[in-house]
Amino acid sequence: MDRLFHKFLRARKIPSTACSGCGLGQVHKRVLLALERLDLGPDDVVWGTGIGCAGRQTFNTWRGDNFAGTHGRVYAIAAGLRVALGPGKKIVLTAGDGDAFGIGLKHLLNCARRNVDMTVVVADNLGYQSTGGQFGITTPRGSVTDSSPYGLNEPGWLGGGLDVLEILKAAGATYLARHLSLDGASSVESLVMALENPGFSLVHFIYPCVTHFGAVTLGERDKGKILGSFRAMFAGGGKGGPTDRDDGRGGETDGGGRKDPGPQAGSGPVSGDPAFRLKRGTYHDGRGLRPEFAASLIAWTKNVREGAGR
Amino acid sequence: MAKSFVIELDFEACKGCGYCLEVCPRNVFDPGRAFNAKGHQPPVAARVDDCVGCQGCFYACPDFCLEVTCRE
Repeated sequence: MDRLFHKFLRARKIPSTACSGCGLGQVHKRVLLALERLDLGPDDVVWGTGIGCAGRQTFNTWRGDNFAGTHGRVYAIAAGLRVALGPGKKIVLTAGDGDAFGIGLKHLLNCARRNVDMTVVVADNLGYQSTGGQFGITTPRGSVTDSSPYGLNEPGWLGGGLDVLEILKAAGATYLARHLSLDGASSVESLVMALENPGFSLVHFIYPCVTHFGAVTLGERDKGKILGSFRAMFAGGGKGGPTDRDDGRGGETDGGGRKDPGPQAGSGPVSGDPAFRLKRGTYHDGRGLRPEFAASLIAWTKNVREGAGR
Repeated sequence: MAKSFVIELDFEACKGCGYCLEVCPRNVFDPGRAFNAKGHQPPVAARVDDCVGCQGCFYACPDFCLEVTCRE
């Protein structure tokens, strides 16, 4: 096992129950690398997890304090925990795309609105993979999945002029970033900024699901080839190391004013969806621009108490 | 003298996804033949002298079972 395992993880939970080739471990590894960079240990972080692949495979892997939220509600639980814990401890939450942007979006938006100090890591496998590979809220249009055999006909939160990070930005989040789980040092850098931000931070990672997205949507069983296709689709890169060289350059964000071409029935999987040209790196950096929820609440409560005592 | 690297691959923890093989720009790994206790076939770092320490395999490994360190 590597040094990150020995420093941060529980032996009885690793190797995880994730499928061979699941990119979730890559996301988990980047968070641990960021914590290592900040010299934070198991005593400094409370780790919460959502439901689905992302929640299940990371639950209780952290050697320090852990908790599992109900589906989509881990952000609300963490907001209460933030007030109780005080500013000394970091809160890291790992959730999936359905948990964060589907059932839990309203809780997520309200945490962003209050600027609650937490780092949400959204591990996005582009659909509901733990339940058998149905299309989800970030599945690219046109994708063939178990529940969209002729191609997905509805817009998701990525592409077609929509971007869920734009909604979070408008809701008041103070740090937002997006990466592929294959990105190297640049993704760790974004996570470091997110962890250092005394406010609501979210880093969105898109990672390959080999069992459903790879096999059904990409039509490929060979995991190495799935990784290659995934990288070529999102990053435009070929064989090589981490995909950092494309950061902030090759990609383009789908602008709000662009005409949405919509899916072509029977045109095959995902080609042509703007989700595949998303810009990687920091999406919004408003660190320190808004007051943090727990700190202001504690100060406000203290003022009220002192006022009432007079 | 050029730097040399050590690749440690945990045979039992590996799930045999082959991502290290896929990302390595120097073709250091070969597909493995031996099965571990969970029935996966971990790759083998067959040409470790060709490793340039880019850490591509370390970043790509989803199972915390691969480490690349510089030999002092």
